[in-house]
Amino acid sequence: MNIQFKKGVLEICVLAVLAQKDCYGYELVNEISKRIDISEGTIYPLLRRLKDEGYVTTYLQESGEGPPRKYYRLTDSGRKEEHELKEEWLRFTTAVNALLVGKNNAAE
Amino acid sequence: MLQNEQEYIRILKNRLEGTLPAEDLEDLLSDYREHFRLGKADGRSEDELFCSLGSPEDVAKEIRATHLVKKAEHTCSCRNIFHAVVATLGLGLFNLVFVLVPFIILVVMLLVIFLVGVAFSLFGPAAFVYAILQLLGFPSFSIWLSPVAGIFLSVGITAVGFLLVIGDFYLARFFYRMGISYLKWNIQMITGTVHTE
Repeated sequence: MNIQFKKGVLEICVLAVLAQKDCYGYELVNEISKRIDISEGTIYPLLRRLKDEGYVTTYLQESGEGPPRKYYRLTDSGRKEEHELKEEWLRFTTAVNALLVGKNNAAE
Repeated sequence: MLQNEQEYIRILKNRLEGTLPAEDLEDLLSDYREHFRLGKADGRSEDELFCSLGSPEDVAKEIRATHLVKKAEHTCSCRNIFHAVVATLGLGLFNLVFVLVPFIILVVMLLVIFLVGVAFSLFGPAAFVYAILQLLGFPSFSIWLSPVAGIFLSVGITAVGFLLVIGDFYLARFFYRMGISYLKWNIQMITGTVHTE
């Protein structure tokens, strides 16, 4: 089955990964595409928008090889947003799962 | 068509040059260059990286739309909102119904209110002068019940005309702001579908 989700989900995923650790773009893309099949190119515009909205900031950090990499870090308001979106998502999916599985199983 | 880094960057650059400020464009391109660089260091081919990035045209469309909506939000003008709407239309057929139709309805409505307001504002004073002349005894085709009623009526029509024009201005401002919020939401929801297997 191929369920289509809209971008809102991708935003939650990006915020959730960044809540665990600061990432550079390529790393973040890999973290997400490891689990879900996305057009990886769309992560960068999303990151730009999150930066515009003040949810993430960027900084450059040297790496062992090559030029410095651009890292993304959640801001305080980004953390708050991540928390709210995650709560909302969990409530929603719990409710949907309960409907899909049936009342008896969900009551556990 | 070649599916390599150079081609990906070229397409993005072509589509966004002139829209995005040069500095922003360079920043964006450097993100993709870094992606290719690290991907290749990971042992992946340029073709493979191109494929998993997906269509650069789609990325460009989204960035264009986001940028133009932001610009329209920053500087309110008919031109800017028009560009923002057109760019958003390009994101999908879906938007013909959900962006173009409401946009046309709103524009027509605001235009009609404006034209009616202007017509009233012009007709009112003219009718006023006509009623005065009538009162002074100039021969006339009697369109009013009486010249006095004509004076009151024409003043009323003028006032309604002015109110319509002014009200239309505020209405336009209101819908402009609503429209910007809606377009932002629309871009966020419509682009970048995610598939799960």
